[in-house]
Amino acid sequence: MPDLKLTVNGIEATVLADPSTSLLSVLRKHFHLTGAKYACGEGQCGACTVMVGGEAVRSCVFPIHNVGQKYVETIEGLANSAHLHPIQQAFLDASAFQCGFCTPGMIMASVALLDRNPAPSVEEIRAGLAGNVCRCGTYSRIVKAVQSAAKAGRNA
Amino acid sequence: MPEEAGGGYEHQLQRLEFGDDITRREAAKRLQAGILFLFTVRIGEGQETTNPMPLLSSRLHVGEDGAITVLTGKIECGQGIRTTLTQAAAEELHIAPARVRLIIGDTALVPDDGGTWGSLTTPQTVPVIRQACASLREYLCRYAAQQWKMDAGEIHVSNGRIRHTDGRTLSYRNLIDNKAFGAASIAGARLMPASEWAVCGTPMPAVHGPAIVRGALKYSSDLQFDGMLHGYVIRPPNYRCRLLSYDASKAARIPGVKIVRQDDFLGVVAPNEQAAAAAAHTIEAHWSNEQLGNPDTLFSDLKRNSKPPDAKAGGRYPALIEAGSVDQGISRAAHRHKASYQIWYIAHVPLEARAAIAEWRGDWLTVHCGTQAPFPVRDEIAKAFQLPPEHVRVVVSDTGSGYGGKHNSECELEAARLARNAGKPVRLAWSREDEFERSYCRPAALMEVESGFDSEGKVHAWDFHNYNGGAASLTPPYRIGNVRAAYHASISPLRQGSYRSLAAVGNTFARESHMDEIAAELKLDPLEFRLRNIEERRLRTVLERAAERFGWGRVRSGNGVGYGLACNLEKGGHLALLTELEMDGAQVRLRRMVAAFDAGAILNPDILSNQVEGAIVQGIGGALFEQLKFDSNRITNGRLSEYRVPRFTDTPEIDVILVDRRDMPSAGAGESPITATAPSIASAIYAASGKRIRQLPMLPAFEN
Repeated sequence: MPDLKLTVNGIEATVLADPSTSLLSVLRKHFHLTGAKYACGEGQCGACTVMVGGEAVRSCVFPIHNVGQKYVETIEGLANSAHLHPIQQAFLDASAFQCGFCTPGMIMASVALLDRNPAPSVEEIRAGLAGNVCRCGTYSRIVKAVQSAAKAGRNA
Repeated sequence: MPEEAGGGYEHQLQRLEFGDDITRREAAKRLQAGILFLFTVRIGEGQETTNPMPLLSSRLHVGEDGAITVLTGKIECGQGIRTTLTQAAAEELHIAPARVRLIIGDTALVPDDGGTWGSLTTPQTVPVIRQACASLREYLCRYAAQQWKMDAGEIHVSNGRIRHTDGRTLSYRNLIDNKAFGAASIAGARLMPASEWAVCGTPMPAVHGPAIVRGALKYSSDLQFDGMLHGYVIRPPNYRCRLLSYDASKAARIPGVKIVRQDDFLGVVAPNEQAAAAAAHTIEAHWSNEQLGNPDTLFSDLKRNSKPPDAKAGGRYPALIEAGSVDQGISRAAHRHKASYQIWYIAHVPLEARAAIAEWRGDWLTVHCGTQAPFPVRDEIAKAFQLPPEHVRVVVSDTGSGYGGKHNSECELEAARLARNAGKPVRLAWSREDEFERSYCRPAALMEVESGFDSEGKVHAWDFHNYNGGAASLTPPYRIGNVRAAYHASISPLRQGSYRSLAAVGNTFARESHMDEIAAELKLDPLEFRLRNIEERRLRTVLERAAERFGWGRVRSGNGVGYGLACNLEKGGHLALLTELEMDGAQVRLRRMVAAFDAGAILNPDILSNQVEGAIVQGIGGALFEQLKFDSNRITNGRLSEYRVPRFTDTPEIDVILVDRRDMPSAGAGESPITATAPSIASAIYAASGKRIRQLPMLPAFEN
């Protein structure tokens, strides 16, 4: 098995793993970053969403050899120790979760959505996040959280 | 519960010392220095209980830092108990919520509060914790009175402290100084009436919200222990199989790999997950196959294999409800209507697939997991290994929810088996496919309904039979003189069990659809027709409130747009749900839903509205498209790419009206708001298309 260099949340590490290993597995086992979740294993639910080179990816079906030189960013890298990222804060303010298991993936997908489209309509938020499942059904609250984060971003 | 219920009861308060066995010693490390109190509370008359529990206990720990830890056997699965129990304790202790801690679901530490099911935390556990906290507050007053030679009645706790006029103070942590304390009786500790609530009744944000949004909350599948090994279970090719023989000779030669077989269970343990999977794939197993029956004849089979209702089954969900004479009522009625309804199996699909870590030390076992039912799971595991229950410690982490699907020791028992001789902790994580194929599902059911009614829209007779589904919501919330409502247990091809609100989804779908059909037959407005048959004031109120907000009567169905409604009364939750949707061929687009919900005094309105919204959304899946398919051998759509769950794009605008009845006991509300979704949508589909769908899920009816 070859050594692979990965930079996750600004920290570079060498990982000894088969290049076809999923990024999710490496994040959870080698980096002990458990914010990204396993839920479906086929890229259908978005609970494993992280950013690779600024793009949201489904890390459960994303092999580490596809990471290349790109930076990986996970939910753990979003906030600094004192302050939440505005989208995390918006989820908190809107109580946009119940069990919270989908939340890290939902937040990462929302970050990517607002990067692409800083002022999405409700329909654009729904369509943009349609690949993420919240089994507790807090969708309306998530839409509100993303809207308020977008608004805060515009006012910033 | 009645606000002053604490007044008439004597609570035993005693210092609790733990046994010194290995699991308790380890568990006790979770508590910092301080004093642990055990309260024994006799539950009040008129309390709703599933199992008779004459004595309930509660445990409170006072730490040297002054924080109070509430220990509970209930677990957090997204329904918000971390927050509502914190509120309840802070309210009665008269301390800031930030001073309250919780330890949940650790069987070596917490009292057995039953499983986290049946919406019982609010009506059962909250009152006990409130009583215990009120008693501790009372005891602190008494202690201060004794120290200061005053009358306890003149002493008040404020912000966790008692202040003497001379400036001295006493707080809960001073109770630790009372080394001599052994036991006391506390009578008549006053519970805070809802009208005086300062913490309860407020939309306090989730206490673990910051951890959730940071991705820092540790769920059962996130736990990693040093040196732990990994298990892999060899699954049979079909749903119901017996292990005939196997050849594990190749796997046995791989260093570090152990094979574990017990009856039909076959698994491997290895140093890491990849090695475990690789070893498992070298094993050749031979299985017998038992057929599942023909899915095309499911409903006739369920009826054919059913038993007469068990008239003796009482409790919370009696299987037979009778009033007046149904046969006479139907034969004498001016109009009769008869129809049958079917609901298919659905899966819970908790987003977190089960995971467990089991560790043995001699005959003592600890299992970390995410079950909804720590004590029942502990007992099941102990039974499987023929151990006394106290030899098994189940420690529950927050779970990526359950919706009634995580009651049994499935993954947990498998992990314990794999770990039995491993000498180290063994982790077993289920895959999504395991979740679909190995866990139990929501029962399929056939409901046959016949009614008799007059031309004025009064229903006089109601004959209702549920086959295989269950008895929840069998009783119609309408005033009907002649009723027979029965649940006939049957033999199910698939393993089935609890699901959010149990059979109330199917029974409410059948009942409300049937009511809608009667209204249509009489050309009566469905709302007006309901109100003519409802006496229950609170149910009328939620219907009226929701209808007003919705604009019912001011809007008319037509041009592919339909408006529908349904109501239900289940587990103390009074629910009305109105739906607006549009149809385009086989496409149903939900536009708007308005719910009004009354579950008594509201402990936390934000959590409650979140539960109502979420339950409605979960209900959309089962109403329109969720369906666990099978052929004669196996589940055929057990993946998330093949089993459709509700997504953002399926969700309408949802407006929730909460009716806060501070004068009424608080009902648990995680389940009942799911029950009106399907019939409300069916009612709107009929209004939009003229098509009456009597099966769940409904969308397949449009595909042919």
